[in-house]
Amino acid sequence: MQRLGNFKLPQFFNFPPFFTLQPVKETREKQVQLWKQLLLDYCRSQKIFVIGLEEDFPLFSNPVIERSLSHEAREVFLSALISEGHAEWMDKDRRKCLMLWLRLQEWADYILNFVKDNGLQDGVMTIEEMRSGTETHGTELAGIDRGLLLRVLRLLEQKGKATIFKGTSADDDGVKFSV
Amino acid sequence: MGNIFVKKPKITEVDRAILSLKTQRRKLAQYQEQLEAVIEAEKQAARDLIREKRKDRALIALKKKKTQEELLKKVDAWLINVEQQLADIELASKQKAVFDSLKAGSDAMKAIQNEISLEDVQKLMDDSAEAKAYQEEMNAILGDRLSAEDEEEVLAEFENLETEITLQSMPTVPAQSVPSAQETKRTPEVQPEAESQAQCEEEELLNLPDVPSGAPVLSDGAAEDISTGPPKKTNVLEEPLPA
Repeated sequence: MQRLGNFKLPQFFNFPPFFTLQPVKETREKQVQLWKQLLLDYCRSQKIFVIGLEEDFPLFSNPVIERSLSHEAREVFLSALISEGHAEWMDKDRRKCLMLWLRLQEWADYILNFVKDNGLQDGVMTIEEMRSGTETHGTELAGIDRGLLLRVLRLLEQKGKATIFKGTSADDDGVKFSV
Repeated sequence: MGNIFVKKPKITEVDRAILSLKTQRRKLAQYQEQLEAVIEAEKQAARDLIREKRKDRALIALKKKKTQEELLKKVDAWLINVEQQLADIELASKQKAVFDSLKAGSDAMKAIQNEISLEDVQKLMDDSAEAKAYQEEMNAILGDRLSAEDEEEVLAEFENLETEITLQSMPTVPAQSVPSAQETKRTPEVQPEAESQAQCEEEELLNLPDVPSGAPVLSDGAAEDISTGPPKKTNVLEEPLPA
């Protein structure tokens, strides 16, 4: 079994047709399904939030069988994820893609649960603290993309569950929860 | 979506203070990491210089390392200070929350108590006392009529019951007195034989009332009575001897 770091690659990763867009509708659906799962699982385990389409990405090529995905194929698979809310284009040129193994709403719920579990109702945290502090260590929040975290917090803000506010220091904002 | 009506949590000065403390904490931690890196670098530099036999430079590097270490210690103290203050703020806000809820509780109690005035309670108690007195009076009027007719009947029933009870309790008397007599016999350890004999006679006397209960009929039963009689006597006589 091939490995990528500590990530266990599935059997079909060494299957050459897996890297070519399938012309037959049913096979392609199956192929897209497998790629979607693989991309999400890999990004989640490695905490990769942004995939650059033009850049080297370990999953997009398999040197063992000398195959790699065409640009079109990459776009097809990512578009499939985007249609489910599990990814988003970060620019108009479709060169960068934000991966959402938890959808925005799921992230929001995750944060709310985290807040409840840690007794932070009415508590104040800093954005950086949520990403790298000891409180979130070992949770999905550790190492979260800053832009994504801010968006999720704004979503919570719209629902009246949180307020983002500026402090004296320019480089870090605070968030107050009220669950 | 119409978010105008959504109530956002209010940011207080306390929240801002917490934020700035937390930011400070993070920055200090970063500074510490930086200092540690510098210390490590100076240490490495000193090692290299010693290898190159450049003692003066090595000493300077070690001096730099020493000052950085001093700084690191100070930063540690600051960090603990910041942590301490964060904990204090948290404690103070918890105290306030506890105070607020206690206050709310006491206010609620006052509000409930205000709804009933003491005069009302006094009046209520007086009213119910009056009602009770009225009830008693009525009972007395009704009761009089009843007791006049039934007085004799009640007394008669009472006497009946009394005699019944005394009759029931009578047979128990001998049964209790026998063991008590035996006990009194045991307590004095050394007794003159005359006294013990007197007691035996006493027992015989006490045993006597049992006999007439059975009608004296000349039959097998009577024969048994006679046959069991004498052995009893010998038993009674033998008992005191071992004592």
